[in-house]
Amino acid sequence: MQCYFQIFIVTLKEYFAYRLNFVLWRLRMILSTLITLFLWMGVFDSHSSFGSYSKDRLLSYLLYSSLVTAFIASSRVSSLAAEIQNGGIMNLLLKPFSIFGYYAATDAADKLTNVFFGLIEFSLIIYFFKIPLVAPQQIGWFLLFLVSAVCISFSINLMLSFVGFWTPEVWAPRFLFLMLVTFVSGAYFPLDLLPPLAYRILLFTPFPYLYFMPTKILIDGVQNAYFIQQIACSLGWAIGLFYLAQIVWKKGIKDFSFWGR
Amino acid sequence: MTNITMQHNLKIFLLFAKNALRVTTQGRLGIIIFTLGKIVRFTFMFFLLFFIFSKTRVLKGYTFQEAALFYMIFNLIDTISQILFREVYRFRTLVASGSLDTILLKPYHPFLRILIGGVDVMDVILLIPYTLIAFYFALQGHIIFIHFVSFFVLFLNAIWLATSFHIIVLALGIITTEVDHTILIYRDMTSLGRFPMAIYKEPIRSIFTFIIPIGVMTSFPPQALLGTLSLSGLLFSFVISSILFYGAMSLWNFALKRYQSWGG
Repeated sequence: MQCYFQIFIVTLKEYFAYRLNFVLWRLRMILSTLITLFLWMGVFDSHSSFGSYSKDRLLSYLLYSSLVTAFIASSRVSSLAAEIQNGGIMNLLLKPFSIFGYYAATDAADKLTNVFFGLIEFSLIIYFFKIPLVAPQQIGWFLLFLVSAVCISFSINLMLSFVGFWTPEVWAPRFLFLMLVTFVSGAYFPLDLLPPLAYRILLFTPFPYLYFMPTKILIDGVQNAYFIQQIACSLGWAIGLFYLAQIVWKKGIKDFSFWGR
Repeated sequence: MTNITMQHNLKIFLLFAKNALRVTTQGRLGIIIFTLGKIVRFTFMFFLLFFIFSKTRVLKGYTFQEAALFYMIFNLIDTISQILFREVYRFRTLVASGSLDTILLKPYHPFLRILIGGVDVMDVILLIPYTLIAFYFALQGHIIFIHFVSFFVLFLNAIWLATSFHIIVLALGIITTEVDHTILIYRDMTSLGRFPMAIYKEPIRSIFTFIIPIGVMTSFPPQALLGTLSLSGLLFSFVISSILFYGAMSLWNFALKRYQSWGG
């Protein structure tokens, strides 16, 4: 555990090596939250509600979703693809820790940084733009969905990086996935605003359990009759995708070869 | 610049463009997946606009057709910028490795290589549907000839502004190696232009119109096409682009004087 803790600390320190870079990165995060927020605030200029969401609930959803997204989407696993391509993974394999553990530790540092500064940015946005915020509900269930979402995201990111074992095109699939997941996981709007059939179909995929479901629990708590099914789906995807990632890893490392290092 | 110099520069530009095309077409699977990703992004963002307008007739005074026109013109400006200036995304590597030296030593302006030397032909494919969709929404409104002319002039002005922004990114890439992703900061700022500037609150709206003229770049052309841009707005846009270009070139010259190579 000590070595993973050291990996965690070193990753944290890396962020503050380039301070200007770090500040500009946080500025980008604030900008991207503000764009979506302003768009929806414009909608509520002439309406008091949008579908089943009041102004307070929808704006709260967007703000909480930005925090949840910052926590879940932040990941260093994408660098694994480059390590596979340039052979750097061999250095990692020779070390006395597991690859999965290594990237879990770096991800943990990334998530801690994002959530710490995300909370500051969150507070600044609420303060300066006077956003009415709904109080968070049922933190316990929220944390369960959050942990499940982290596992789903980690496994998917790993598998996207493992593509590097078989093709040099590692960024293109990740780009396509990012574009897809941004919209179907509820980062821009609550997915239950979609037509019911589309919403029910989406619930069979892992995407709503990334950002939408944890945020929905935070806004509304446990309200609907399908809650047990949703927990089962979320945990099922988390466990299933993790095992799938392990299978893909074993297949990839068996096929992998490199030279010159 | 003499005619011979311009011909010479054009020849170099075409040579770089041909090489860039050769490099791009080596990874065919990548081209397909990237293009698909861009189509997905465009489609979903368009769907978001449509989804919002399915439950509201106007957004800050703009109808769906007008908001869609803003979005399409933003896409056209953004895509053309990416086609022309893709090489800027690879600039930091040149600085960090010292390869910039070899470029500065060549008998042509370095911008031919580092600014427009990596034309991205993948995005050219998407220009066609973007243009057709923009025309469709433009024809929904009452567009008169003078509006179209002012739109066209402001569209060129927007590309000029984008050029200045990219030169600033290049200059910052030399001045400070502390910034990994200057170009991504530029992209995030320009993404504000997806929607009419009117939706943003103050001081964001003023900052991104008068200080960092993203609004001039992305909102003024569709406003001109819709006939809602005043003459003073039109004149202001040329003044701001001249000032920005002058500032960008001054910053670039300053960066070059400060440049110290290493590693090459």
